[in-house]
Amino acid sequence: MGLITVSGEPGSHHEEVARLTAQRLQFELVNDSRLSAMIAEEFGADAGLPDRAWRHVAAHILARLATEHHLVVAAPGAELLFRNFPNWLRVEVVAPEPRRVGALMIDRGLERAAARQSLGELETARRQERKRRFGRVTAPATLFDITLNSEALDSEQMAALLEEAARIRGVLEQGLLSSSAAAQIQFQIRLQLARHGIAPAGKASLKRNQFSHPSEEIFANLLDFYRIAWEYEPHSFPIQWDREGKVLEAFTPDFYLPEFDMHVELTTMKQSLVTRKNHKIKLLKTIYPQVNIQVFYQKDFQNLIFKHGLAERAAQL
Amino acid sequence: MSSQQPPILERILFTEEQIQQRIKEVAAEISEKYRDRNLKLIGVLKGSVFFLTALAREISIPVKIDFLAISSFANSVGTPGLVRIAKDLDEGIEGEDVLLVEDIVDTGFTSRYLLQTLAGRGPNSLAICTLLDRTPRRIVQVPVEFRCFEIPDRFVIGFGLDYKQLYRNLGYIAVMKPA
Repeated sequence: MGLITVSGEPGSHHEEVARLTAQRLQFELVNDSRLSAMIAEEFGADAGLPDRAWRHVAAHILARLATEHHLVVAAPGAELLFRNFPNWLRVEVVAPEPRRVGALMIDRGLERAAARQSLGELETARRQERKRRFGRVTAPATLFDITLNSEALDSEQMAALLEEAARIRGVLEQGLLSSSAAAQIQFQIRLQLARHGIAPAGKASLKRNQFSHPSEEIFANLLDFYRIAWEYEPHSFPIQWDREGKVLEAFTPDFYLPEFDMHVELTTMKQSLVTRKNHKIKLLKTIYPQVNIQVFYQKDFQNLIFKHGLAERAAQL
Repeated sequence: MSSQQPPILERILFTEEQIQQRIKEVAAEISEKYRDRNLKLIGVLKGSVFFLTALAREISIPVKIDFLAISSFANSVGTPGLVRIAKDLDEGIEGEDVLLVEDIVDTGFTSRYLLQTLAGRGPNSLAICTLLDRTPRRIVQVPVEFRCFEIPDRFVIGFGLDYKQLYRNLGYIAVMKPA
């Protein structure tokens, strides 16, 4: 199987490197938010898993996925998830402090001094989380096969290097993780989880992106072009229940942009036909006021693709 | 350009006089905010050229000027690839107060990429000044500190904004007829 884990400090943009690497190699990307969603799917959103069980919980899910997919994993502490895992490339992305401070200036709209302080707080939080989950604060250099410095390399160049490293290492020639190897790993992990009284259900899975409309693919291409991470239909929100509490209707926004905690719904049908969808979105906003959703109507979408010179493609939709 | 309106125009959104007046007001705000600081205006080619020039002439403090350009999604062949810097700055920006000057901010995609790129080069501060702000289409929140006009979700041209590379040289900003 192919497994590449990409770790990095806050502001190092290691998730972007992981995403671009996954695109180049056509591996499945499992980032922090996707992994959290799968853990919730496997164990329940309110399972209250102990911190010390996290690595085993995550490893259990990833080992199972690895029998069906080649993976690029970008989650904190990913380099510590397995021991003696076959054909695994562990990558660390580092960046000089000014660059990481700069990243926070943009991501959080801060001036340099405030961004520097914010970076310090994030690093402290990350260390504490690492200590809780893995019992250690730092990651020694020997835990990584490759360390990339983004001072001179941009994310695209780093992804190109990792693609080449994967070739040299023979990651691409290996098949998926065999069932027997996965079973062996799972056995060890289940023993660890049993100590915490946890029995995995084997439910979590990776859903492949199958766009239901060509406009969604165009939008996904735009996001890729602008290096914006996205997930396709990752969340469904129940909006109507019967008296017994059974979900009668749910709304699933088309895209989720994890960096901005934002959902995007594309509505390319005519304005006169969107009343029902608008009603659903209004319900969603009422029931889940914390959910950030942006709706792109036909006119918005046409203007967007017009601006990007894609009007001819849009005319074919 | 001839005063005769191109037939593709639906209506004029902002006249030349309105634009000049608003630019003066925004330039005064910028001059006040960046007094005694190292202000550098960075224009994004090509759309911001007209706006940056008009803005710089109204700013009352010394400013440096530089330009950059990014690759176009429309020009990509086959798979769209990735946005990248097509023309980089001529000089560094370390320790400077950078104001990215845009013709229009809508989704925020372009601005975010540019800000991320510039932020890594050690500026003292980084903000955006835009001629037009189309907030209804915003997906990525970016720090737009100065804006001349908020506009509705319509396709506009003029004063630097183009349709198939034409009409940038209109002195006013106009709404195009729906396709």
